[in-house]
Parts: sequence; C-alpha cells; structure tokens
Amino acid sequence: MTLEIQNLHVRIEEREILHGVNLKVEKDQTHALMGPNGSGKSTLANTIMGNPNYEVTEGKILFNGEDLTEADPDERARAGLFLAFQYPATIPGVSVANFLRLAVNARREEPIKVKEFGKVLRENMDLLRIDKAFSSRYLNEGFSGGEKKRAEILQLAMLKPEVAVLDETDSGLDVDALRIVADGVNALRGPTMGVLIITHYTRILNYVRPDFVHIMLDGRIVREGTAELADELEEKGYDFIRAEVEASNAR
Amino acid sequence: MPASAATTWLDERREQAVAAYEREEVPTWRRSGFWTTSLRKLDLDALEPRRYEPLDQLPPVVADALGEDDLGALVVQRGASTVHAHVDPDLARQGVIVTSLELAVEEYPELVQEWYMRRLSHEEGKFPAAAAAFWTGGVFIHVPRNVKLDKPIQSVYLIDEPGTAQYAHTLAVVGETSECSIREYCLGAPIEGQALHAGAFELYAQAGANVQLAHFHDWGPGQIHDISTKRVEIGRDAHVGWVPVHLGGRLIKQTLDIITAEQGSDMRHTGLYFTERDEHLDLFTSDKHERGHTTGDTVWKGALTGNSRASYEGLIHIVKDAQETHTYLQTHQMLLSQDAKGDAIPSLIVQTDNVSASHGGTVGELDEEQIFYMTSRGLPRSEAVRILVEGYFEEVVQRLNDEGLQGLVRRRIAEKLLAAEDQVNRFIGERVAHRPTPGAVEEDREEEGAAA
Repeated sequence: MTLEIQNLHVRIEEREILHGVNLKVEKDQTHALMGPNGSGKSTLANTIMGNPNYEVTEGKILFNGEDLTEADPDERARAGLFLAFQYPATIPGVSVANFLRLAVNARREEPIKVKEFGKVLRENMDLLRIDKAFSSRYLNEGFSGGEKKRAEILQLAMLKPEVAVLDETDSGLDVDALRIVADGVNALRGPTMGVLIITHYTRILNYVRPDFVHIMLDGRIVREGTAELADELEEKGYDFIRAEVEASNAR
Repeated sequence: MPASAATTWLDERREQAVAAYEREEVPTWRRSGFWTTSLRKLDLDALEPRRYEPLDQLPPVVADALGEDDLGALVVQRGASTVHAHVDPDLARQGVIVTSLELAVEEYPELVQEWYMRRLSHEEGKFPAAAAAFWTGGVFIHVPRNVKLDKPIQSVYLIDEPGTAQYAHTLAVVGETSECSIREYCLGAPIEGQALHAGAFELYAQAGANVQLAHFHDWGPGQIHDISTKRVEIGRDAHVGWVPVHLGGRLIKQTLDIITAEQGSDMRHTGLYFTERDEHLDLFTSDKHERGHTTGDTVWKGALTGNSRASYEGLIHIVKDAQETHTYLQTHQMLLSQDAKGDAIPSLIVQTDNVSASHGGTVGELDEEQIFYMTSRGLPRSEAVRILVEGYFEEVVQRLNDEGLQGLVRRRIAEKLLAAEDQVNRFIGERVAHRPTPGAVEEDREEEGAAA
C-alpha cells in the first residue's frame, strides 16, 4: 500500500507551482513535508486529492500501483486517500454526524447500521475529547479554528484511510488543542495508515515523530532525511537551507 | 347569493369589488433590469369557476400531500366548491370554528363582518378585485381567546381540471393569548391546459397570540397561474412565525405582507422556493413595522433549475414613530442551471430614527470548494450537489417546525433535484472546465434609520 508521486508538475491558472516532485509514502510510515509559505506544500496536498483547480501537466500520482492522476476526488477517497484540509469548507444544513454517516457509507457496499455507527462515532469523539453536542452542529459552521481541525481529525478517524495527508493541521492551534490532535494522529497512524504531515513549523513533530522529513522550496523537494532533519531546520531556519541549496546549485 | 339580511353587507362589498374589477386593466409587472411578469399568454376568458359535489374520499393529490398527518381540522376546496370540511370534536368543544367562508357568512355574520378584509382591499388591482368580487367556498378559521391547540388547522385549495378559475379567500382570526398552527396548501394535479387561482389570505393574530403559519404551494407541472395577496397582522406582544413555500406553478405572482401592528409584536418570516422547467415566480414581500418596540427576522432562500425565472423582492418598511424597532432581512438565491435567471432584491424604507434594520443578499452558484470538500470524502459529485442544496434549504425547513410538512418539503425538493440532476451536473461541470472563481455576489448593508 503506497502513495507514490512521480515527477509531478502542477499548474494553477497559467503559473507552474510544482516543478517535478517525487515522494513515496508507505502505509506504515509517517512523513513530514516542510516548507515556508508559498513553497507549494498545499498545492501538492490539493493535487494529491484531485482538486479540479489544479492542473497536472506532467508526472503521475500512483496509489497501490494504480494511476490516479486523472481520477475524481471521490474515487481517490474510496481508494483509501484522505486529506485533512487547512481551510475546510462550511457545509450549512448538514450535521457532523449526518455527514460522517454519508461519508462512511460512500466506501461501503452495505450502509452501516445506525447503532454501530453511533458506537464508533462516540469512541472516536472520546478519543479526540470532543463534546457530544458537537455531532449535531452543522459541519464547520461557526466552528473555531481548533474545532475545525478536530472535526478534520474526527473524519480521519471515522474513515480510516490507508494514506492521510494533513495539510497544516497544526496551524492556529494552541498547545492543548495541538496535543489533542497529535494524540489522535498518534493513535490512528501505524501499520495500516501512512501519514504525510504538511507543516511550516516543527512544533507538531515534537508530538508526532516522523520517520522521514522532506523540505520543499519553490515547488521542489530540496532536502530529505530522517526526523533529525527537522531538528536541524528548527535550529537553522529555512533561509539557511535555501542558502545551502543555492550554494550547491552554483557549484 | 341568498338574500338574507346577514349577507347584505357582503353583497355591497362584492359589488364594489366587481366595479373595481371592471375598471382595472390586466396588469404587467415590471422591475428595473430584465424583469417582467406578464399575463398575455393567459386566456382569461376561457376560464370559469367549476362547481363540484362533496367528496367522501380526498383526491389523490391532496391525500398524498397530507399523508398521515394528524389534523385538528380540514377544509378542502376543489375549484369553486368546498368539497370536504371536518373539525375534530375536541376543537369544536373549545369553540374553534373552521368552516367554509361561505357558510361562516351565514352562521357567524357578525364575527365575519368584524374582520373581513380589514387589511385587504379590492382597490389593489385587477386580481385582488377579482378575488374580492368572485370568491366562492373560501375558508374561515376562528380560534377564540386563550386556547392552545396541538394539532394543525389545515386548509387546501385544489385545482385539478384545465379551464378552472378559482377565486379563493381565507380569513383566519386567532384570539388573545391563543396558540395554534395553521397550514394552507395550494395543490394542482398535472393538468393539460390553463387554470387560474386568484387568492386572498388574511390572518389576524390578536394580543399575546402565538401562531405558526405555513403556506405550501405546489401547483404541479400544469399551466396553473397563481396571483394572490396574503397579509398577516400581528397584535400586541403576539408572535407569528410564517413559512411560505413555493414548489411549483407555471406563473406565480404573489404579494406577501406581514405587519407588526402593536408594541411588542414579533415576526419570523422564512420562505423557500424552487423553480424548474419554464416556471415563472414573482414574489414581493414586505415586513411592515407600524409601531415601535417590534421585532422581525426574515430569511428567504431559493433555487432555480431549467430555464425558470424567479424574482424575489423583500422590503422592510418602518413607519414614522415606530422607534426601537429591530429587524433584518436576508435573501439568498442559488442558480443551478445556465438557462435559469433570477434576482433577489432586499430593500429598506425607514421613516424614523433609533431603529436597527439591516439586509443582505446573495445570488450565487454552488461553491466548487464545498463540492471538492465533499467529494474528497468519497461522496460522488451528484450526491454532494444534492446534499449541498438540501443543506442550503435546511435552515428554512427547520423553521417549519412540523414533521409532516417538513417531510413533504424535503421529499419534493429531492424529487426536483433528481429530475434536474443531469442538467445541474452539466452546469457545474462546465464551470469547472472554464475555471471561473466560484461566483457569489455579496452585498451587506447596515442602516441606522435615517430620519425621514
């Protein structure tokens, strides 16, 4: 079970944002993709999930060997991909519980029994320390930043994908909320779920230790390594990495 | 008309209305921009009131709409005739009257005369004059003071034959501190040919009363034209929650007015429309605050498919001296087809100071980001669209606060969406192909009552 991105070039409107990205996430691995604002991280996340606003001009997205480059977002989801959105859309008139039931059923042959669904939902809400009343609120309507992120992780927990991309899930969270979200991710990741954490900061990586770290600058992955690379980045900052990369390119 | 003394006053009123009808021209309504509502395709001379015998069983269209709902009272008018009337003995014991207006004029002449057309006039144009002049059957509802009803009072107007002219009049009076729910359904069978419903509705909620009022219109796919005026007056410290629903009709032109007439009166006015095929819907609503210390809250939501046309204009009117009035109006419209056209216009007339009144409106399409979000969770595109549109209407449906009617409205919306599924997907698909920014024109204005 692998998400494999090969030489991916992506354009939005007339501008190329990603200039040949390669990345491979196995289902028992946790990866971190780090980069400053505007480096193309969210473009990669959106392209992996099939956002129609982004156009792949070259390269491939393979999932378990199957080419999903042109697949619709719902096909990708049913194949086992998941994206926790940086800015999730508001869905008025549709409650959290109702939406989750529809999403769970979308990847099942037989609809889930009401009782079973209720039980799983309660368990996952407990895991993320979410108040009971939350499930009857309209999805993301009037949610605080922290509630939106928790709702994303609740969906992750309910849908149990094989590979999950977390797009800046740590941004805008206070320490307590970050901790809860990180605990949730730690409980879910493991042998059957690979994770790609996209982040600007190293903060979340203190709670969710990645196996691999990739640094993206200007639409390219410029450095790769283990968790220690994140520590190095924390210490030296993006400007140092950028200078280093420019120096090696000049050589 | 029987020549009893009791009806002399009514004969006079009818004569005045006939004179107005003969004087008035068939109107054409124009608004700024592209909007025109014209009746030139309606062959008025070919239509006539049709009389029917009472029915033992409800016609299928009516039975289907009412389902298993537990009703306190039911009056059904088919064409020009009242064909069914029933009042739960419990309600009758409490002094509640629900009957045809024709009978009420005979049996309760003073009561009817006291309220009849207090807020309506035959001088408002050709069709209000026609309704006042020619109504037959009709509905009279009177809930005495201090009565609390838990089952809805239901009236139905049915048109099921082409060539029908239905002149309708409902008069409802709810006494002081009484609580009840009133539902009026306008239903059409799928007829081949033209028909007309020219209607008048008036409700008076007296001091301290609490009334839940719903109008459900589904004239079906036939050529039914509906030109009606509905007016609600709210007394001191009384509350009316009014939910008009429009789910079908070849051409509908309605004026809906709700008036907070005394201190402390409060309105909640929430409407919904869904137009399809070549339907034409023209709604004008006004929230009129005649006294100070009144409150209002208006939300209208619509969606358009096919090559339908829908225009909604909502006015907040705060008259001179109605200080300490707080009210707002929101109107939203969603285009689901490239051939549909609509507008949603909120407006304000404020003739006093020290009030708060605001309005806002959006005319938009489905948001591509919402669709992407939902499909990224595994929902097929068409299902995502259906859920989004149903969710969009849910705020209004919730305010119906009536399980039977909520079920009916949800079912009809789902059917209409299913019928338009290919077209809606094509429309949204084309937008993605051309990648425009998701289109929503938003406008929000706040006015702190400029003195007149």
